[in-house]
Amino acid sequence: MKTRRIENGIVTAFTLLAAACWVFPLYWAFVTSIRTDENVVAKPGLLPDQFNLSSYADAIFNTKLMIWYLNSVGTAVIVTAVVIVISMMCAYALSQIRFPGRRLLYLVVLASFMIPAQALVVTQFILMNDIGAINSWAGIILPQLIVPVVIIVYKQFFDAVPKEMREAAVLDGGGEYTILFKVYLPLNWGITTALAIVTFIGVWNAFFWPFLVVTSEDMMTIPVGITQVNDAFGVAYARIMSVAMLAALPVVLAYLIFQRRVTEAVMISSGVKG
Amino acid sequence: MGVSLRNVSKEFGAARVIEDVSMDIPTGGFAVFVGPSGCGKSTLLRMIAGLEETSGGTIAIEDTDVTHVEPAERGVAMVFQSYALYPHLSVFDNMAFSLRLAKTPRAKMREMVREAARILKLDDHLDKKPSQLSGGQRQRVAIGRAIVRQPKVFLFDEPLSNLDAELRVQMRLELTRLHRQIGATMIYVTHDQVEAMTLADKIFVLKGGIVQQAGAPLDLYDDPDNRFVAGFIGSPAMNFIAADVIGRDAGDVVLRTRGAEAHEFRAAVADPGLATGAEVEIGIRPEHLRLDAAGMPVRVEVAEELGDVSYLYTRMADGTEIIVERHGSRDRLDGETVSIATDPRHVLVFDRQGQRLR
Ligand SMILES: Nc1ncnc2c1ncn2[C@@H]1O[C@H](COP(=O)(O)OP(=O)(O)O)[C@@H](O)[C@H]1O
Ligand SMILES: [Mg+2]
Repeated sequence: MKTRRIENGIVTAFTLLAAACWVFPLYWAFVTSIRTDENVVAKPGLLPDQFNLSSYADAIFNTKLMIWYLNSVGTAVIVTAVVIVISMMCAYALSQIRFPGRRLLYLVVLASFMIPAQALVVTQFILMNDIGAINSWAGIILPQLIVPVVIIVYKQFFDAVPKEMREAAVLDGGGEYTILFKVYLPLNWGITTALAIVTFIGVWNAFFWPFLVVTSEDMMTIPVGITQVNDAFGVAYARIMSVAMLAALPVVLAYLIFQRRVTEAVMISSGVKG
Repeated sequence: MGVSLRNVSKEFGAARVIEDVSMDIPTGGFAVFVGPSGCGKSTLLRMIAGLEETSGGTIAIEDTDVTHVEPAERGVAMVFQSYALYPHLSVFDNMAFSLRLAKTPRAKMREMVREAARILKLDDHLDKKPSQLSGGQRQRVAIGRAIVRQPKVFLFDEPLSNLDAELRVQMRLELTRLHRQIGATMIYVTHDQVEAMTLADKIFVLKGGIVQQAGAPLDLYDDPDNRFVAGFIGSPAMNFIAADVIGRDAGDVVLRTRGAEAHEFRAAVADPGLATGAEVEIGIRPEHLRLDAAGMPVRVEVAEELGDVSYLYTRMADGTEIIVERHGSRDRLDGETVSIATDPRHVLVFDRQGQRLR
């Protein structure tokens, strides 16, 4: 009994320590963001000694943060919507429709899942350049539309639906679109929500590709824009941190609202990856 | 004809699952496909539904060739063993699903669903989800979904096997009632010969993808074509005893069981092919055996008393199990040796290939 309690205590302490390690950077960013730039350097303390929102005002009014927001929201929403729709339809076809080349096509999807995005960056950049999509939403969006893991998760879901469900719908006079949108998807909207959230967060946080494809400040997404705050104002920690806080805000809100779904989603997609 | 099959066959890769099946089911008839698991009943039904393509032969519904017609256009509705209800839709919407797809006007749709719900006593459950219903109610929703489509042919694939015994008996009666009420052609698949006997006006016994015999339930019971049908139809099953033909006497064939304590049976069989010395198997139903001091001695292992009837599970000297049905007598016979006999007209004879000799 007693050793049990000690063990529990150790585990709890450890978990708390790990959590603290995770939280500290966020906490530090927040504390820094509500200081004035002078104070950040002059008296860096662990405890918040000031509540000054001037750096937020600065970030909002003296940078292109609002435009970056718009770019981020716009591209993330479009990518998420397109990825979800084409992936569910692709997965449905791979899972439910018998056509020649079906297995090969699925292998291609699986194979593209194995290739790290970085390996394609140069080709993609050249391609985007050729079609004149550099410094545009199209350039940010197009290469991000390929998310094999969403197809794989959807396919596994469709594969698991009992065959009779489909046959009942076929006999009821349903075509493939009816079966997909009126029977299969409504069976578990949770999967679609979860995949949409994960995709959205992924696109929202994407840095590498948008950073490469966009050079004009007016086309930047938030993560790319943050790098500009530096250049425009010299090293201004409070301002950088307040932009970072603002950048994270939508994701944090989304997480708080859909907490359970996000956890589910991460588990579903990591189940596939792992 | 409600449904006609001509030389229908089905192969899955190299496996031949249905072999050259031809059958006619009259309009308004209730046909049952019965046979052991894996004999191809479901496959045959699904071919009629159009869910499986035929490898050969033709299928006609109401005299129209539908062999290559889409499932939804054949005028058939199917009730699945797993019910296959749409779990996200209410009972009403489950039943209305096909009508919505067919763009039925709202008022008409409502009327049709309500009518089906009334027939199936689902009126109070129309707003519920399938998960809120009992097994029997779910089954009724599945049937309701079929009814609203007003199909020419209803197809049932073991619809009652997920229900408990009591409910199964009740639903069986309701299905018979429903058939009388609607009057549509129905085809019903089951591995349970009791369901087949009680529901069908025509039974098709299948084994290995071949129709072993087709006919009215009692015809199959009284006059089976082969050993398989004889053994499959009837509960408890027919008794089979290995025997040799030893001659003829006054129009009857005389047969003798094998082994040390051989016993003679007579069978009213005219077949001239039954020569002396032929090895055969004789079949006698439990209810046709009676206790008779002049009969064949058997030892009673277990006696099951059901009140009105009792079953004696006995063994012959060579170990062959013989079941005897008795009425009106409750004396304890466990462990005793009794003698049994029957009438020649109740002794069926099967050749070594299992074909009945008449
Ligand atoms: N899609 C299929 N692919 C391959 N073999 C199948 C398929 N469907 C059924 N079978 C085989 O066909 C035979 C008959 O199956 P089925 O019609 O389901 O039998 P039953 O309903 O009488 O139990 C079985 O041996 C089964 O394994
Ligand atoms: Mg079956």
